[in-house]
Amino acid sequence: MEEYPEELRTPPATLVSLVGCPELHAAISSHLLTAQPPISTLALPDFSKIHLFIKNKTDPDSLATPPSGILKRDWLLKHRTKLPSLLAALFPSHHLSSADPALSLQLSSHLDSIKSVIRGRNIKLAVVVVVQDDSDEIEDRIIALRKRAEVDAKHVVVLNPKASDPKQSLHRLASTFSELAGAYYREEGRRIKQRIEKKNISSVELIVRYCFKVAVYAEFRSDWTEALKFYEEAYHTLREIVGVTTRLPAIQRLVEIKSISEQLHFKISTLLLHSGKVAEAVMWFRQHKNAYKRLVGAPEGIFLHWEWMSRQFLVFGELLETSSKMHLGFSPIIQGTSSKPLSEWEYYPAYYYQLAAQYLSDKRSALELAISMSETSNEIDVVADSVVPSVYVGQFARLLEQGDNVDMLPITDEEYIRYAVSEGKRFRDSLEIIALLKKAYESYNSSKIQRMSSFCGFLMAREYFSEGDIGNAKQVFDSIASLYRKEGWVTLLWDVLGYLRECTRKNGTVKDFVEYSLEMAALPISSDIGVQRDMGPAGPANLLQREIVHNEVFELVSGASGLATNEHPSNLKITRDESLQVEVDLVSPLRFVMFASVAFHEQTIKPGASTLITVSLISHLPLAVEIDRLEIHFNQSKCNFFIANAQKYQSIEGSSGIQQHRTETAPSLSLEPNKWLRLSYDIQSDQSGKLECQSVIAKIGSHLTICCRAESPASLDTLPLWTLENCVQTVPIKDPILVLSGQKFTQVEEPDPQVELHLGASGPALVGEIFLVPVTLVSKGHDVYSGELKINLVDVKGGGLFSPRDSEPYAVDSHHVQLLGISGPEGEDDSQLDSDKIKKIQQSFGLISVPILKNGDSWSCKLEIKWFRPKPIMLYVSLGYTPYSNELNTQMVHVHKHLQIEGQTAIVLNHHYLMPFRRDPLLLSKNKQASGSDQSESLPLNQKNMLIVSAKNCTEVPLRLNSMSIEVEDDAERTCSIQHGTEELSNPSLLVPGEEFKKVFSVSSDMNISKLKLGSVCLRWRRDLGVEEQSASASTLSSVVTKQKLPDVNVELPPLIVSFECPPYAVVGDPFTYFIRISNQTKLLQEIKYSLADAQSFVLSGYHNDTIYVLPKSEYILSYKLVPLVSGMQQLPKFSMTSVRYSAAYQPSNSSNTVFVFPSKPHFKAAVSTNSRVESVANE
Amino acid sequence: MIVCVAVVGHQNNPLYIQSFTEADDALKLHHIVHCSLDVVDERVNNPKKSGPMLNETFLGLLYPIENYKVYGYLTNTKVKFILVTTDLDVKDADVRNFFRRFHAAYVDAVSNPFHVPGKKITSRTFAERVSTIVKSFGLSSAG
Repeated sequence: MEEYPEELRTPPATLVSLVGCPELHAAISSHLLTAQPPISTLALPDFSKIHLFIKNKTDPDSLATPPSGILKRDWLLKHRTKLPSLLAALFPSHHLSSADPALSLQLSSHLDSIKSVIRGRNIKLAVVVVVQDDSDEIEDRIIALRKRAEVDAKHVVVLNPKASDPKQSLHRLASTFSELAGAYYREEGRRIKQRIEKKNISSVELIVRYCFKVAVYAEFRSDWTEALKFYEEAYHTLREIVGVTTRLPAIQRLVEIKSISEQLHFKISTLLLHSGKVAEAVMWFRQHKNAYKRLVGAPEGIFLHWEWMSRQFLVFGELLETSSKMHLGFSPIIQGTSSKPLSEWEYYPAYYYQLAAQYLSDKRSALELAISMSETSNEIDVVADSVVPSVYVGQFARLLEQGDNVDMLPITDEEYIRYAVSEGKRFRDSLEIIALLKKAYESYNSSKIQRMSSFCGFLMAREYFSEGDIGNAKQVFDSIASLYRKEGWVTLLWDVLGYLRECTRKNGTVKDFVEYSLEMAALPISSDIGVQRDMGPAGPANLLQREIVHNEVFELVSGASGLATNEHPSNLKITRDESLQVEVDLVSPLRFVMFASVAFHEQTIKPGASTLITVSLISHLPLAVEIDRLEIHFNQSKCNFFIANAQKYQSIEGSSGIQQHRTETAPSLSLEPNKWLRLSYDIQSDQSGKLECQSVIAKIGSHLTICCRAESPASLDTLPLWTLENCVQTVPIKDPILVLSGQKFTQVEEPDPQVELHLGASGPALVGEIFLVPVTLVSKGHDVYSGELKINLVDVKGGGLFSPRDSEPYAVDSHHVQLLGISGPEGEDDSQLDSDKIKKIQQSFGLISVPILKNGDSWSCKLEIKWFRPKPIMLYVSLGYTPYSNELNTQMVHVHKHLQIEGQTAIVLNHHYLMPFRRDPLLLSKNKQASGSDQSESLPLNQKNMLIVSAKNCTEVPLRLNSMSIEVEDDAERTCSIQHGTEELSNPSLLVPGEEFKKVFSVSSDMNISKLKLGSVCLRWRRDLGVEEQSASASTLSSVVTKQKLPDVNVELPPLIVSFECPPYAVVGDPFTYFIRISNQTKLLQEIKYSLADAQSFVLSGYHNDTIYVLPKSEYILSYKLVPLVSGMQQLPKFSMTSVRYSAAYQPSNSSNTVFVFPSKPHFKAAVSTNSRVESVANE
Repeated sequence: MIVCVAVVGHQNNPLYIQSFTEADDALKLHHIVHCSLDVVDERVNNPKKSGPMLNETFLGLLYPIENYKVYGYLTNTKVKFILVTTDLDVKDADVRNFFRRFHAAYVDAVSNPFHVPGKKITSRTFAERVSTIVKSFGLSSAG
């Protein structure tokens, strides 16, 4: 695109000319340039210069003779820079004044000359009056001037550069100018259009020319539609005259037509793309290309055609690229006619660049042919020097100088071709081709179209290669080879590798050469894809060629100098002590050159015990490879071993000198193509931990080593390329289990521990006590150095020992089970533990160091664990030690032990309240909630109540109780009095499993409060020591304190209290009196309805039902005579009553309502006094 | 005239590629087939651009290169069939018909119990059948 002249590339701008008042020209022209649309100016310093615009000769178009060319080369430039559409004459206002006749005369003569000049050209005239002073009264003078100049009133502009707003008058100036210029171009266009329409034009060339001119005039006034229409018209007309015109010799004729059509096409494409019609532009280009593709022309000038085609593609690609930059968010939409749809590729500039490069390479080969032909013809091309472009577009002529006179002579086709060939020699097409391909390559790459870009890259690299730019070529080839490798396009890869191999051969990089050669030789090519026309240096892709490559590389590495004598002069040499190591890792393309699969036969082995390891090698090289030595490397370097080829063993040993490693010999280490070489050997390791095979190094010849990363048999599936081949897949190991599960590493276990670890806990632990777990280490065969004991407490059910739900403030309680401490062995003081010995105790974890133990020694300690909740836990104890005292061998031996320990609640405390015997208060609150759940107990006020606390042994071991008491919190207000017996039990009472211990407290409260805080029961206990009980002194025995808070009770004043009185026993047939005493505690009169039910065992006298009134603070006594009828424990008649005031029915409890009836009067052998009292009661 | 047909696996690896040309430019045709996979990818990844061709196995003209036309076909298992022809005026119906027959031949070839899916097709029967189909291309509508 850059080779086009400027006036063709940019849209034309209106040209106006200024004359007079030169001091204002700069300001005016700069303003006009910024106007919309911009106007360029041609400033003439004074009026004498206007004769430039005089038309010097008559119109050549009117001549009858056909023109000698279609378009004049400088016509467009003339209209853009030389021939204005408008002449603006600037006059200062004082010149207008009629006061000075000289000035007035001068003005008139200027106007006359202007008029005479512009008449021939139809140039428009505008008069600008430059006002210096606002006060000037110039209206009349302007009118006079207008008449003089014969212009419209609106074409006389007053310009006041000193006005407050000079922009305003400049704007007016610009709009007047553009209006006049538009009129000029319209008229010019119309004039030429009329010529076309008259149809009496002698030649078609003139129609093309006229159409072009009309289109350009339309462009001048920004009428894009008309411009497009006439450009297309010109284009189509031009296409018609191909083969018709005979004006020029054949080749030059075609060259001219193509040049014109190129210009027209460029204009059309630009206009289409600028208006955003991308699809139409693409369609247009396709038509253009197809229309001219076959117009090859004479065979000797064929390179001109290819060059032209290439330029069409390049220019359109560039246009498309700039327009897609302008129209952001441009996305190709497939359009076009249904028969020939556009594909999305035609919207990518890269597509055009690629084809431009293709045509350019066609041109290059054609040109080379032409050059060779011109050389054979042996003509001395002197004429070519004087050939220059002629005045017409696309024509060339010979410049003939005769003195000062320069003349253009037409040339023959032979001369023209000679000229074109000599011009063509000056350019280096390959650089151009590379640039084009690079553009396409980068453009495709940025659009993530990788295969297209790879293809362009391939062409580009090939071009680099033939140019001798090896560095660039290799880089590009490398990048595209990876794509072909990934997608398995073997033939393409073969070709690329062939180029790469040649690159390295030229560079002299031996290692790369060997790698590429090996890769090529191992490619899965078996059948020929056919003889190829333009083969790369790789040669045809077939098995034979692979074998050739294979032989070549192995000859090179084995030191045979056959390579240098090849037809290729080679600078590949391997010096004597140079060694070449080829690495094959997991992602290397050389994996199918050699692949090592390693499997241990066992997943874990004991230290010192031996196991089998199988090393399997496979190669896809076309010929067998003889390996001299295999080295197997492990992460434990002691285990490394070598496998030597028995046939070459002697020589190897001689050269390698001292053998540090174990060396096995194998009868043959020949690697057949596509066949596994399987080798199995014993291996053992003394060091525990992971034993992993890292690499297998094959030494081939004296220089080449191939280092394969060891892989497990299972990873064979990921081998590229060959998996796609339809050949039988073999497995590295015959053992079907190892194929699936074999690993390249094994675990070497640690040696068996020879130390016993005992955990001596017995029975369940009790909540609250400090539970001791004795741990004993007994060494049986090993000394123990730097031993460590790790203790872990783990919840059996999982979930940890910490319960976040308990948000009690006590830190202790945050763990349900806690490791409190570790006490050393018996007799050993804590202070004896050295400071460097570790002792770390956490709540569920402990670490303690173990002193050095000799064989047979033992050591013990005790773990102190406390349970806060009943919970089973798992106790893990592990001992780590080294059996040797030296620091070097830091291999640890571990012993693990674990024990599950239950935590149990030792004692369950219960309590309940009792009222005095046969005395029932009416508790209103109790009555109300009789049916509902008993939220809290209620006690009557001012009465002695009994609290019975029972402690039950829930464990399976006997316990000893030291004391039971009720403790009131110190800060709490004492709200009741609690009395009980001695706090300490004189002799700790034995509590066998399941037994219950009860203690009675009496509780009374006389304070008028509703809630009674009782405090908590405090129980001290310990385990019964059995036979040691006697010997243990009280001080040494630590007792456990169990505390349980008693719930608060309600206290209320009972309005009524019913008490029953009856003798302690009765005798059958003996009547006795049964008193029911109802005492009113209130200050109100109480109305009571009562009833006494009949009882079967008694005959009774008195009211069954009645209503009574009890006076305030007094008692009412009901008395019944009862005669018992049946002996035994008998229920007294049931009494029930209802307090009307409280509407509370009330029934005394059953338990206190029985009496024992003797069959006859008993005879007590008790003390006399007691007896007499019984009698007295009985007598009553 | 058809100059090349290819079967390309779902990882864009060639499964079968055969050229029918006297000009010995097999490598060039391999390049063309390989490049056309870009278009297939583009069509598959941006189905909205090719709007009406949604859910159709026949992909139509893939891309025009000088002297060749490349057509594509995508099976449900993401196996691609590529056709390269030198005919510049090809009827869509012919190409569709060709691909239908080619697909049938392919299905028969991979239905062979000894064929491992994803590997190259080496069946001789398949090759013969394909060459018959290629020879008869365009004849049905012309005759």
